[in-house]
Amino acid sequence: MDLDVSAGEIHALVGENGAGKSTLAGIAFGSIAPDAGTVSAGGTVGLVHQHFELVGRLRVWQNIMLGREPRKGWHVDTNAARARVAELARRNGLPIDPDAFVDELAIGIQQRVELLRELEREPSVLLLDEPTAALAPAEIDAFFGTIVQLAARGTAVLVVTHKLQEVINYSKRVTVMRHGKIVAHFETAKTSVDEIARAMVGGNLPAVAARAATAPSPCFVADGLFAGESETAIAGIGFAVRSGEIVGIAGVEGNGQTTLADAVAGMIPYRGTIHIGGNAGIIPQDRNKEALVMNWSIVDNALLGRQHTPRVRHGLLLDRNVARADAQAIVDRLDVRCATLDVAVKTLSGGNQQKLVVGRSLFGEPRFVLAYNPTRGIDVGAAALVQSRLIEARNGGAAVLLISFELDEILAVADRILVMYRGAIVGEFERASVDRATIGRLMAGSR
Amino acid sequence: MNAYRRLFSGPLGAIAIAVALAALAMIVAGVSPIAGFSALFGGALGGTSNIAETLVQTTALLFPALGITLAFRGGLFNIGAEGQLLIGGLAAGAVGAHLHAPTAVAAVVLLGLGAIAGGVWGGLAGWMKAYFNANEIISTLMLNFVAAALASYLVVGPLRSPQATGAETAPLPHSAWLPLIVPDTRLSISILVAVALAFLLRFVLTRTIFGYELRAVGEAPEAARRNGVQMRRMTWLTLALSGAISGLGGATIVTGVMHTFNTELSPGYGFTAIAVALVGDLDPLWVCVAAFGFGILESGGLAMQAVAQVPKDAIHVIEGCIILILAARRYVATRTESAPV
Repeated sequence: MDLDVSAGEIHALVGENGAGKSTLAGIAFGSIAPDAGTVSAGGTVGLVHQHFELVGRLRVWQNIMLGREPRKGWHVDTNAARARVAELARRNGLPIDPDAFVDELAIGIQQRVELLRELEREPSVLLLDEPTAALAPAEIDAFFGTIVQLAARGTAVLVVTHKLQEVINYSKRVTVMRHGKIVAHFETAKTSVDEIARAMVGGNLPAVAARAATAPSPCFVADGLFAGESETAIAGIGFAVRSGEIVGIAGVEGNGQTTLADAVAGMIPYRGTIHIGGNAGIIPQDRNKEALVMNWSIVDNALLGRQHTPRVRHGLLLDRNVARADAQAIVDRLDVRCATLDVAVKTLSGGNQQKLVVGRSLFGEPRFVLAYNPTRGIDVGAAALVQSRLIEARNGGAAVLLISFELDEILAVADRILVMYRGAIVGEFERASVDRATIGRLMAGSR
Repeated sequence: MNAYRRLFSGPLGAIAIAVALAALAMIVAGVSPIAGFSALFGGALGGTSNIAETLVQTTALLFPALGITLAFRGGLFNIGAEGQLLIGGLAAGAVGAHLHAPTAVAAVVLLGLGAIAGGVWGGLAGWMKAYFNANEIISTLMLNFVAAALASYLVVGPLRSPQATGAETAPLPHSAWLPLIVPDTRLSISILVAVALAFLLRFVLTRTIFGYELRAVGEAPEAARRNGVQMRRMTWLTLALSGAISGLGGATIVTGVMHTFNTELSPGYGFTAIAVALVGDLDPLWVCVAAFGFGILESGGLAMQAVAQVPKDAIHVIEGCIILILAARRYVATRTESAPV
């Protein structure tokens, strides 16, 4: 495959998960060896990684200068290092306190540290791997503002992302990858989100299910909920989810969503009350660790969580026939692509694994569904299917609590939106009266 | 087919490498490997009495290996089988010496007592793990020393038979001896119990809700916890059952082989059994096969020493190599799986 990025250009690399974007970025940076072919760059290459690679217990300047500390005899020249960081921050318009400890900084500021560390080497090529995954909308704008300035000064920028709106807003050219190959190049000015999305999935996106009118009545109630500790604690949260309604919790990662989800799932102790009127289906955040047994077959995984229900339980024994029939039903309903029901789930793609998890959680028509980032890291097609099934569950009278870091997902699916910031609900919107900008501000902590 | 390949790339490969290393060691020591191994296999499998003795060793290894298999499948590293074996034997010996009952009744009572005692010993580590988060590797290992010290104290002191020359309990009455399968050998019906237990264990692991949940905890504890498995109960129950199986094994050695109890009950069966369980790939039926293989090594080793002048310790070299290779393989497998893509 061939890809070129010009000096002064912001080039977007998009594709579904598993399309090979991160591999390509790794090869360009030099951390992954190519099987064949060459990479050339006119100067040094910097990489800002999706998951920050910072030392939390060190100060900002120590992180930025790590490995390249100016010396004075045997010692690190602290003053020179601090001055260098301050100068770097000023020149790039990224204000920062060089003496702050990294783990005490907000996510958006940590990103700034990560970026400054790469800029210190004055790279001629800058690779950004999903740089905005953990940022609030306002932080995203500020971040790209900096990147645009960098490009204007002649740096070639390659952004790996799956957020198409960012691509449209900030890039000059777009390259689309699918199954490890480049399938399309676009001039951003001459394309649209729809066209890029079609190239990513190789066809039209499946339509998301229509929402039907429902007769809401309270099903899930949380009141005066306190749980967790320190940064991710939740304090005094109260809300209700009615049958036939999807309530979306919007917020930037790390504002107490995990604590809330764990409390609702009964996985951690809490103060306050949680009332769930009926059986619950839980779609946890981390399918690898929290939902699936990777070495097990689809049949065994489809059973997990239901092993005590009378349907599959005969005294001490499991009814393998019912388990297999149920697995088949789940696979059919969620369109899980698999050779047989006996293959290990680790051989399935992330999207198919997630479809299995969702199908299992929705099996037996739960009255309450908790979905925590149900489409994270899966391809657009699978994501649309998952969202459709959630809406269908809602249409069927289930109360659905959707916690997601993707505001677009919440806007697409939820009937009512709550905004979470620092462990509290800071705003509420009806679907009809959504104000995206206000939600974005609330997510970032301003009013 | 796949399972076969996995077995060959793992346990069988390890055995092949270990045998090759042992052959090399024999050459270095100036002994013909052919003579050494023929003495080994002749001593283990040549004639009825040798085969019977090999099966006695097989049985002694099989019980703790099955107990370890259960714990390992549940994600718990029970390395306290040695102590659980000893405590099971102690319970059977202490009560058996004074039990005058028909053989069937005595067998059920004594084997049951052994299982209960071993279960308490394993369950103790399980309880500490479940409620105080005490690492089971440390606690089961330490309980081995406690068991050994307790057994020594009891056979030297309160339980010592006045008639005996050494430190041991009073002999079991003949009615409490397990019936022999082959006359004039030491092979009792305990091997049938062990093999039946292996089948039962396989059934429990694959067909019951308990086995399903146990495997879930072993493979993916967080997924199990979030899907209705009561983790504390599972932890202590797994270690208690694991200990019970080893304890049962200890009781069969007392009632079937020794007919008394002393601290010579196990020359390290509980530790060798860890290798047996791993070579058997933690599948109860393959563990039976592995136990037979190790039984050959244990019983043939003496013959090898006597006939071919290869020190019996060469057997331990083979066992050690198998354990090292299997442990390394597991380590490599984990590393490869968790490596960033």
